[in-house]
Amino acid sequence: MNHKVIEIAGLKKTFDGKQILKNINFSVFENENLVLLGRSGEGKSVTIKCIIGLLEQDEGSVKIYGEEVLDMNQSRLKEMRTKTGFLFQGAALYDSMTVRENLAFPLTRVLKIRNRQDVEKRIIEALDAVGLSDAINKMPSDLSGGMRKRIGLARTIIVKPKIILFDEPTTGLDPISSREICDLIMEIKRKYRTSSIIITHDMECARITADRIIVIHEGECIAEGTFEELEKSTDPQIHPFFNWMGDP
Amino acid sequence: MPGPIPNSHISGVFVIVFAILTKISFWNNFYQFSDRLIYMKTKAFRTLKSVLYQVGEQAGFLGLVFKNSVKKGFEWNELAHQCYLIGYKSFPIVTLTGFVLGFVLTLQSEPSMKAFGAESLVPGMVAISAIREICPVIVALICAGKISSGIGAELGSMSVTEQIDAMEVSGASPVQYLVVTRISACILMVPLLTSLADAVALLGGYMGTTIAGGMSFPLYFRKAMSSLAFSDLVPAVIKTIFFGFVIGYVGCFKGYHSNRGTESVGRAANSAVVTASVWIIVIDAIAVQITNALYYN
Ligand SMILES: Nc1ncnc2c1ncn2[C@@H]1O[C@H](COP(=O)(O)OP(=O)(O)OP(=O)(O)O)[C@@H](O)[C@H]1O
Ligand SMILES: [Mg+2]
Repeated sequence: MNHKVIEIAGLKKTFDGKQILKNINFSVFENENLVLLGRSGEGKSVTIKCIIGLLEQDEGSVKIYGEEVLDMNQSRLKEMRTKTGFLFQGAALYDSMTVRENLAFPLTRVLKIRNRQDVEKRIIEALDAVGLSDAINKMPSDLSGGMRKRIGLARTIIVKPKIILFDEPTTGLDPISSREICDLIMEIKRKYRTSSIIITHDMECARITADRIIVIHEGECIAEGTFEELEKSTDPQIHPFFNWMGDP
Repeated sequence: MPGPIPNSHISGVFVIVFAILTKISFWNNFYQFSDRLIYMKTKAFRTLKSVLYQVGEQAGFLGLVFKNSVKKGFEWNELAHQCYLIGYKSFPIVTLTGFVLGFVLTLQSEPSMKAFGAESLVPGMVAISAIREICPVIVALICAGKISSGIGAELGSMSVTEQIDAMEVSGASPVQYLVVTRISACILMVPLLTSLADAVALLGGYMGTTIAGGMSFPLYFRKAMSSLAFSDLVPAVIKTIFFGFVIGYVGCFKGYHSNRGTESVGRAANSAVVTASVWIIVIDAIAVQITNALYYN
């Protein structure tokens, strides 16, 4: 747990004259789950989109395995993205394809697996992992929000990435599915030694999955620590996350 | 003791006051004028900037499209699927339009031709005008309304719901999968649809002649064909290839670059139709000049 996988320094981003990210600094180490906490609209999604190169920061550096993302050429960027999974907040399923085709897409297009049986086997494996084996022939429009989220998760993990960026993996799920997804995230981490950033508002999920937590407030990282450390914090910006049920 | 102010003094004062007043209004006008100039200049600059920006954006996208169309791993299955959606699904409306065009054209021209005793020229005239001009343009405009807007809306909604981003971060190329296939399908299908419309227009023309006076089908067909030359067909087909490209490209560009938010999906579809239609007319105007210069001069 000493090798830096993702390193962010002095990240700044402004949208339409409004500075969303003012100064974001953090690193993710190998085989670590880092949870990002922050109020809605604080720029958590923007931060991880800068990591994967979907958005370009105004200032600051984002490095993956020591390599600056903005300096990567197309083929390097593609290679990096192949090793990185990204779960979108809104799942972003391809709505003209069935669930099977959605899951097959990264396998056949990116990993270029030609053998149909292999593809089918991995699809079934991934669907089993998120508990939705019977949805394989459905269209995304026929699924509920929570189901779509889980299919999105299956599509993210199906390529067995080394780094995974989860944007609210448990939002919109019932407590039981939520718990299963958190366990799945932990299992993936153990099995494939992945490093992940998990954005969540679900404190139970944070408690289960986090090795370390970073709190973002007004475009800056204001706190860092394990769940137990931050839980004890009395800072008015941090305290409410952990004691949202009200003070004793 | 001061006497009455002499006339010359009064007029001198008037001159000074007048000079001051005119000077003020002159400078005022000057400032207004220069303000206006600066305003016009900044506005012109802004327009120029946005035009250059748009040209750059178009060139960039066009470059991406070409790069991705020669890249390894062409999406043949998706191309076939798009050909089905674009070609086969437009089949009925194009057939109907072609038939009515030939039919109406014949009925419209028959009386005037008859007045000159030239009704035997009607089949040839209908064939030439339908194949050279009317069918290509009308079919292209119909396709702009049906296909371009459909592509614009589809890609627009994919962009808004982050599906295009998702494709990109997965390491696949959304341009290769979504854009190149759609443009290729349009390039293939629009000429085919136009040929279909041409054929059906001749059939419609025959129906029209049957109603108007009657001519046997072989005779009608021979007359229509004998008036057609190779130089009528080739430019018409080449033209439709460009129409097909514009229809696919504009739809893809508008959809791919639609903003965030659902209302931009509608806007993408709408502006795809308008832009594609304008381009079709412009290309048609250019094509007729080129054809005339090459074949008839
Ligand atoms: N592409 C964009 N263009 C303009 N503004 C944007 C863009 N993306 C995000 N924003 C703005 O940046 C801010 C942060 O958005 P972001 O999605 O990162 O929030 P978040 O922390 O993920 O919130 P949530 O927890 O609700 O998902 C928002 O105010 C949003 O309006
Ligand atoms: Mg978010």
